[in-house]
Amino acid sequence: MTPPSFQLFERLYRYLSRHRKPLYAATLLMVALGLFATSKARIQEDIVAMLPDDGSGVAKDFQLLQLAPFTRKIVITLKAQGAGDTAALTAAADSLAQALTSAGAGRVMTGPAELSGGLFGWLGSRLPSLATEADLSELARATTGPEVQRRLRQSYEQLLSPEGWALKGSIQSDPLSFSALALEKMRFLNMIPNMRLVDNHFLSADGKSALIVVDSAVAMTDSGGSRELLAGIDRAVAASVPAGMSASVLSGHRYTLVNADTIKRDLFVVLIVSALSVLAIYLIFLRSLSAFFVFLIPTSILVIASGAIAFWQGNIFAVTLGFGGVLLGIADEYAMLIYFYCRQGGKDAGTITAEVARPVLFGAAATLISFGVMLMSSLPGQRQLALYSMTGIVAAVLISLIVLPHLIKPAPQEKPAFGNLDWGWRLPRRAVLGTWLVILAICGWQATKIRFNGDLRAVSMVTPELRQAEKELTRTWGDMRDKALVFAEGKDLESALRLNDRLFARLSGRLPAGQLVSLAPLLPSDLLQKENAERWTEFWGDGRLRQLSLDLAGEGEALGFSKDAFAPFLANLSAPPPAATLEGLREAGMGELVESLIIRTPGNVRVLTLVPDTPQVVAALSKDLKTLPGVHLVSQSRFGDSVGQAIIRDFTRYMGITSLLVLVLVIALFRKPSRIMLVLVPVATGLICMLGIMGMLGLEFNIFNIAATILIIGICVDYGIFMVCRLSEASDPAANRSVLVSGLTTLAGLGALALARHPSMQSIGITVLLGVGAGIPAALLVIPALCKKESP
Amino acid sequence: MRIPSIIPIFGICLLLAAGPGVARCATAAPAGAAALFDSLERTAGGVNTLASDFVQEKHLGMFKTVLNSKGRFYFGKPDRLRWELTSPVASGFVLTGEKGRRWHERSGRTESFQISQEPVMKLVSDQLFAWARADFGWLKREYKISVLSESPAALRLEPRSSAAAGFLSHLLISFSADGRYVKTVEVHEKDGDFTRIKFLNTAVNKPLKANLF
Repeated sequence: MTPPSFQLFERLYRYLSRHRKPLYAATLLMVALGLFATSKARIQEDIVAMLPDDGSGVAKDFQLLQLAPFTRKIVITLKAQGAGDTAALTAAADSLAQALTSAGAGRVMTGPAELSGGLFGWLGSRLPSLATEADLSELARATTGPEVQRRLRQSYEQLLSPEGWALKGSIQSDPLSFSALALEKMRFLNMIPNMRLVDNHFLSADGKSALIVVDSAVAMTDSGGSRELLAGIDRAVAASVPAGMSASVLSGHRYTLVNADTIKRDLFVVLIVSALSVLAIYLIFLRSLSAFFVFLIPTSILVIASGAIAFWQGNIFAVTLGFGGVLLGIADEYAMLIYFYCRQGGKDAGTITAEVARPVLFGAAATLISFGVMLMSSLPGQRQLALYSMTGIVAAVLISLIVLPHLIKPAPQEKPAFGNLDWGWRLPRRAVLGTWLVILAICGWQATKIRFNGDLRAVSMVTPELRQAEKELTRTWGDMRDKALVFAEGKDLESALRLNDRLFARLSGRLPAGQLVSLAPLLPSDLLQKENAERWTEFWGDGRLRQLSLDLAGEGEALGFSKDAFAPFLANLSAPPPAATLEGLREAGMGELVESLIIRTPGNVRVLTLVPDTPQVVAALSKDLKTLPGVHLVSQSRFGDSVGQAIIRDFTRYMGITSLLVLVLVIALFRKPSRIMLVLVPVATGLICMLGIMGMLGLEFNIFNIAATILIIGICVDYGIFMVCRLSEASDPAANRSVLVSGLTTLAGLGALALARHPSMQSIGITVLLGVGAGIPAALLVIPALCKKESP
Repeated sequence: MRIPSIIPIFGICLLLAAGPGVARCATAAPAGAAALFDSLERTAGGVNTLASDFVQEKHLGMFKTVLNSKGRFYFGKPDRLRWELTSPVASGFVLTGEKGRRWHERSGRTESFQISQEPVMKLVSDQLFAWARADFGWLKREYKISVLSESPAALRLEPRSSAAAGFLSHLLISFSADGRYVKTVEVHEKDGDFTRIKFLNTAVNKPLKANLF
């Protein structure tokens, strides 16, 4: 095969060799502009980078999960070390609440709104509108003669007791305790399983912990705001929590801050270590002043790529910048090839450039295809990363082919700078191929063990302290944050409540009050309230009210009650039932609780129901609720599964498209099946080894491993192309050297990523380290070994 | 309004606890109310136990006749209290610090409770024990107290909070001629209903059986 010459680059070289100053000035200007744009960019460290934004079910589920009552709030558990002195605990909670309010943390709650007697009165008076058929059956039993006698006597005896002083009013208005039926409905609003109310404070069942909930205006994704907010809270805790008590603070803000701090530290470490490592490799292997220009290329393209992203998108995800370490490692491949060919000399730089342009452009095309496929991702972080990398690669190719040839001078002698790097040839062919096949077989087998983990928390930084605090929160208060959410959606409150009524009718048969949190029993739709009221009126008709009146009069007479003692009670039973309204609930002190279950967006109202987030419940409800249009079940655990499935789906799609496009490119470039197979040796080896070693080590495959896998395809195909191009052009040590040295710099860049503490960066680092680490020896050793047979 | 209407009981019990102090200040015949309260507060420290029978008359509009009942009351310093109805139905409760126990003859059941979990009982106990300790600072914040008579001592207490004032008109407390114990307590409500409790056979600082609490 005659090596085609890319004359354009030769002509360009010759033209620019007469205009080097403007060329260098333009290059410097581009870097300076990149630097300027980067300095104006806002670095975004939150989880938004990892969340689908395609309006898919997964994206919608994530948005809905944020609407859970405690998700957006700061939850503080104040714990007494000794046995429960509840008075001291509630006093400390009040003191901390005061300090938090003074610190401007937000709206602080230590307990429900002051209920006084209003709620009980409201409940009793609204029973006619709330009573279900089952309630009326209970009332039918409560109004039989013997039951009237028993209940009235009970009320009479209560009046004699000290508590009776407090109960006189309610006994007069409800001598038979009918309102207990309405009070029972309150059990469906218990959001904190292990909580009891003490002095209107949220206290744990063991009386040792108090719960303080802070509703802050600071967005959870705002790392700067979160830092200030949490610092204020920590100061308030330090100043007001007495000795013998401790406070643990949990909120999304804490996670944001931990992730932001970790990413910042990682960015610093990764960029410094990778830059120093790459420089060290250059100094060791290149030993030339002109090598400094090779080093400048990846450094410059980092600035150009970051500047371009900052210019196009404004925000740069921190994880994208972290990926700069990788880009630093891979973008020098092209410069390295130019460098080694130019240093090898023998031809003029223009001719060399034209010849080297072929493998450089082929390799870059394969890498661009790999990253280009990632542009289809629904994760903004992956798309930005793709754009960032593609920009960097294009910049690297252009600078390598247009600027660099002017800066590299041929080496004074033929001897390579670091001994003879073409040692791969001399290894026994059979030993190389045998070892390769054994490794492939083992890794292929181990690759079947790899597990996918689609949970977003797997790529989020969670410190042991945070994990412990989460466990402690669940142990103390029960499962208050990890509930599955069921939304009944309507265009207005009434339509949402109607759907919520139907939803409650389905759920109440399956789940007891302790497990089901629903607004439906206390705030049914107007339609259902009307039905209830009609049934109530009908119930008391047909002589039942008259009979009750007679029974009450008879039993009351025996106990000394006056004749008209219960006239108001009887009148209420037959009066037009008042409706239960949102305003009424607010006035009764339930506003906070109720509002947390009603979510309004423009043109849309959602009423929220909470159910246990167990696989059994979620699976059963998912199936059952499909027949209720407008009802949407969102579960944290199922969300993880959904993301996992979406990732696997995306992964398969990307892998398929990338592989296909790269294959098409390789076929188009190399045509001969044996050469095509040779080009693909490093990529196949890299992928199999990466998956195999991860499976062997029990490492899970997460959302960022996918980005890394596609990267492996792009990088390793380059090595294959470089090596096979070299074979086409007879033995040429420059390609060998460039693959080895650029491979080492890639590993240095990726090795630095593996030092990161943040799971997302570490995932990319470890995965690509394994893949590229396997791809390099495959390119340097296996391709030549296979070629011996292939070569005539 | 259910919860605030519990307030009258506190006046009754703690004035019982303050009996000896009242007696002393009656004999000391201080000039003003403040001196009387100071005296009550000071001398209440000497009360360790109280035991008394009581008769309760409820004059309630919803009854055609006066509702009569009787029982026994015990207080042991610092935080023990027993309120026991013996007729017409045996029932009552015991408080020991944060814990409580109540019983009822008809149901035949005794049940334990935590004061902090029962708002009504919480209010009862808070105020009972505040009175037992003769915390006049607290009482004066809750009530406007006027002295009707210094010898024998008689007080009129009007609630300060608007919530309590919504249903409770005032309390009248009168003491025996020698001022050693509270003789009667009257709780007057806004609607005209009132409850009168007469304390009889009051014993101060006599040993109380441990099983009473």
